[in-house]
Amino acid sequence: MGNLLVKKPKVTDVDRAILSLKTQRRKLGLYQQQLDTVIEAEKQAARDLIREKKKDRALLALKKKKAQEELLKQVDAWIINVEQQLADIELASKQKAVFESMKASTSAIKSLQSEINLDDVQKLMDDTAEAKAYQDEINAILGEKLSAEDEEEVLAEFENLEAELTVQDLPKVLASEETIQAKKPEIAKPKTVEDNDIDEELVLPDVPTKAPVVPEVVEDGSESASVGISTRRKVLEEPLPA
Amino acid sequence: MQRLGDFKLPHFFNYPPYFTLQPIRETREKQVQLWKELILDYCRTQKIFVIGLEEEFPLFSNPVIERSLSHEAKEAFLSALVSEGRAEWMDRGHKRCLILWLRIQDWADCILRFAKDNGLEDTVMTVEEIRSGIESRGTELHGMDRTVLMRALKLLEQKGKVAIFKGASTDDEGVKFSL
Repeated sequence: MGNLLVKKPKVTDVDRAILSLKTQRRKLGLYQQQLDTVIEAEKQAARDLIREKKKDRALLALKKKKAQEELLKQVDAWIINVEQQLADIELASKQKAVFESMKASTSAIKSLQSEINLDDVQKLMDDTAEAKAYQDEINAILGEKLSAEDEEEVLAEFENLEAELTVQDLPKVLASEETIQAKKPEIAKPKTVEDNDIDEELVLPDVPTKAPVVPEVVEDGSESASVGISTRRKVLEEPLPA
Repeated sequence: MQRLGDFKLPHFFNYPPYFTLQPIRETREKQVQLWKELILDYCRTQKIFVIGLEEEFPLFSNPVIERSLSHEAKEAFLSALVSEGRAEWMDRGHKRCLILWLRIQDWADCILRFAKDNGLEDTVMTVEEIRSGIESRGTELHGMDRTVLMRALKLLEQKGKVAIFKGASTDDEGVKFSL
């Protein structure tokens, strides 16, 4: 109507068939209504005739009524048929739609698949596997290097931590026995080779009676201790390369 | 409060002056306004599409106060509705009036909503089915006036939402939805 640009839904023969059936269904419904009124009228007529004692006429009316009722039953069957056919036609057109779209999608899959050669896929997979193997190799090599570096780092961290811990331990000793600490550097040095802290502490108590000889060193006790540790660490490290 | 069937009538329905066309412009405007709303409301709840001016119409007379609208008054109120696009004269003599408590556009929306709710896309329905079929039972479309329905469908056809078609010469008119 008027606007030519508007896309109107397309009316197919199937649609016309459905329309025809639906019209038929409605008309049959109307026909039933008509029959119902006729039946009702005949019934009423028969009643009246019986009252008027016209038996033959009454029987005739009842016969007519009976015939109409048969007709009504027939129409019922028709309506069921029409309904059935309507359902069938709708189902069939749905089936066709499903079939069409499945056909389209199958051809789409096929055309996509035709673009892929099986040998090419095999080659691609081989190439991928090769590339992966190569990558693994690189990883292995890189991994080794990394682990060597890591080890060094771990070792360094371990030493740092150890050093920290000894520094934390030392002040206790300093607080309780300052005088011993003063002597310590002299005694400790030879002992460091053995690298045994417990031994140091155990051995040290034997020397406390002497008077403080070098008070300045005692004030910087912690410093001297850390120096001692650092030297000890160097001693520790030296044996490794050898 | 007075009732007409299951319809609740407004207070003014019991005031005699409202049944006489008011001579003063201001009061008349108010009167017309109230009647317009009443007519639309009543037709909507009772699903009345056509008012015949020469026929009995329960809304235009109130036996309780023994008043009824004159022909002139009826025509004045309905003309007010016509000028607002909520009603249309169906003949030149202004004897019958089509009441559009929903505008054609609203009816068209209503039909589309109905089609969507019932999954009627690409489905064929007869015009009769929309008005009186089991599918539309319980919706606003049920019992709809045929002319109004056809006009709403034509509007939808212009928008490409439906196609109206005829099968064999004895067949009903069919509607195919495409949403």
